[in-house]
Amino acid sequence: MKHIVVLNDKSVMVDGVPMQLENQGMAMLNDVYRSRIGDYPKFFKMDALCKVGFVASELLLKAETDGEISQRKAHGTSSRAVLLFNRSGSLNADTKYQATIQEVDNFFPSPAIFVYTLPNIVTGEIAIRNLYYGETNFIVLDSMDLHTIAEQIANAFQDSETESVLTGWVDCYDENHFEARMLIINRNEDILNELNKITQ
Amino acid sequence: MVVKISDNIVSPLGMTSEENYSAVKAGQSRLSYYEGKWNLPEPFVASLIDREQIQVDGHYTFFEQIVIKSASAAIAEAGIDPASPRVIFVLSTTKGNVYLLDKRITDFPEDRVLLGVTADVVAKHFGNPNKPVVVSNACISGVCAQIVAMRLLERGAYDYAVVIGADMQSPFIVSGFQSFKALSPEQCKPFDASRRGLNLGEAAATMVLGAKETDGCWKLVRGAIRNDANHISGPSRVGEGSYRALKYVLGDCSADEIAFVNAHGTATMYNDEMESIAIERAGLLDVPVNSLKGYFGHTMGAAGVLESILSMRAIDDNTILPTRGFENLGVTHNVKVSNTIGHTDKKSFIKLLSGFGGCNAALLFRKEELK
Amino acid sequence: MEELILKLKQEIIEALNLEDVKPEDIDENASLFGDGLGLDSIDALELIVLMEKNYGIKLSDPNQGKEIFKSVAVMADYISKNRTK
Repeated sequence: MKHIVVLNDKSVMVDGVPMQLENQGMAMLNDVYRSRIGDYPKFFKMDALCKVGFVASELLLKAETDGEISQRKAHGTSSRAVLLFNRSGSLNADTKYQATIQEVDNFFPSPAIFVYTLPNIVTGEIAIRNLYYGETNFIVLDSMDLHTIAEQIANAFQDSETESVLTGWVDCYDENHFEARMLIINRNEDILNELNKITQ
Repeated sequence: MVVKISDNIVSPLGMTSEENYSAVKAGQSRLSYYEGKWNLPEPFVASLIDREQIQVDGHYTFFEQIVIKSASAAIAEAGIDPASPRVIFVLSTTKGNVYLLDKRITDFPEDRVLLGVTADVVAKHFGNPNKPVVVSNACISGVCAQIVAMRLLERGAYDYAVVIGADMQSPFIVSGFQSFKALSPEQCKPFDASRRGLNLGEAAATMVLGAKETDGCWKLVRGAIRNDANHISGPSRVGEGSYRALKYVLGDCSADEIAFVNAHGTATMYNDEMESIAIERAGLLDVPVNSLKGYFGHTMGAAGVLESILSMRAIDDNTILPTRGFENLGVTHNVKVSNTIGHTDKKSFIKLLSGFGGCNAALLFRKEELK
Repeated sequence: MEELILKLKQEIIEALNLEDVKPEDIDENASLFGDGLGLDSIDALELIVLMEKNYGIKLSDPNQGKEIFKSVAVMADYISKNRTK
């Protein structure tokens, strides 16, 4: 069965089943972290885009391994690529960082925010959490065009070590406007067919 | 097989690849000490393009202008029609038009800061009907963009790819690296025992790639991207991702065939040390290693394309370019770095890069002999 | 000094996003890095910003941080001697 996670600032759905949640936005993500994940204090250092991608990937991987998360981290693997897409890049972190340098008389550039001003950091967070030594990449498009995305995922399999790709759209315009549509695609699957499931 | 058809570099050292190569071979650099520039409280060393030198007609940001200028030159040399649907634009950049976030700058619409939007502006300038692909994978983007293009061409999706790597400097980027205490107060010294950090730079570099082999052409043989799975900003202490990328692109090639490894060599304590470990693990300790950061600084999204182009020209010139700024080896493993010009008759090299997010990339290039 | 130590703990928790940590959870004599709170290199850099922003202390050499950030108590002592705000 193909597992799909679709979440946004108002709802979280795993395999089409919505989670019962009280809050929205970042508070909602923090709640999901606490109730479903909870063993990764670094979560609270992440910027919004990383939190969105991290929560989505954790829910997806839990579904994939039927909850047996401890198994997957034992040795690390290079057979899984992490390839994510969005339109906003790292705009939310960029805007927050700009605020730390905008005023000449309140100029305190923040390294903890600056490190997140690159959209690929979310792929790094997922790789660290899961010991993924394989390919990680981030592509920015001006819209969620499934044909372009499918083409890029197909290309990823040209790396002979890549057997599966953790992929999807992970976008965070600001802390109240974000979404993630994530799935795992395996070698030889019909990519566009599988990808279409993230819009359902 | 994917081949390089033409190339161009727009940088502080020149507006063509030839000018840049000659300047580098002559040991030149535009790395300068800036105090009070852009009203930044801390001074910094950087290599910046003279804004007056770039005159592109139309309402474009400086970033777009250098991209268009470089791509135009490479496209003209390649003799391809950029408006053809069989041509795809692949853009590598880390921060694009991020300078537009400054509230005092209001001459462009807000969404111009989005990478997909700026890439679209560039593609439309050339009349290209396809949606451009923007690779934003930190400092390895330049190699990633080449790999993305290679794969598109190998699968027959397009006939040509215009791969452009570019970044411009700004208070946003400079202050960020300053907050990281990653910048050297002087000109950078890759792999040197007294290295103190990186210098920042800006450039736009373009390669036009094609899928048809021709005699005496440059081939992009094999590329790989691998993650350290360790830390989002510090490199792996065992060079895990970098080693894995090197191992993959070497394949069954012997180290003997490799003229040199053009490393990332940013001159930070951690990066250069990590690369020396990865190079040793990959069995490449006898292969000359160089870094070009001493000529241009770290050009971020442009680095992978810029440094690959210069490396190709070096091999065409039977040359191993010196590592400007290097004097005494200051890394654990005895990598063969030199500050003098070397000679080589070998026809292959590896471009190696690392970036924030724990990512690393390598690309093997080979010059095919004329038959 | 006690007031400063408490204030510092609150500021550290906020600046470093130590979400589930309360001031009473932090032992002011325990090491901040390594085992203690498990802070990393980015946290050390952020503490440098905190020193300047809240107390007007500029550390020119990040390596000074290793000594000063040994523990909250050591940090508070340094701040009380060098603060300009």
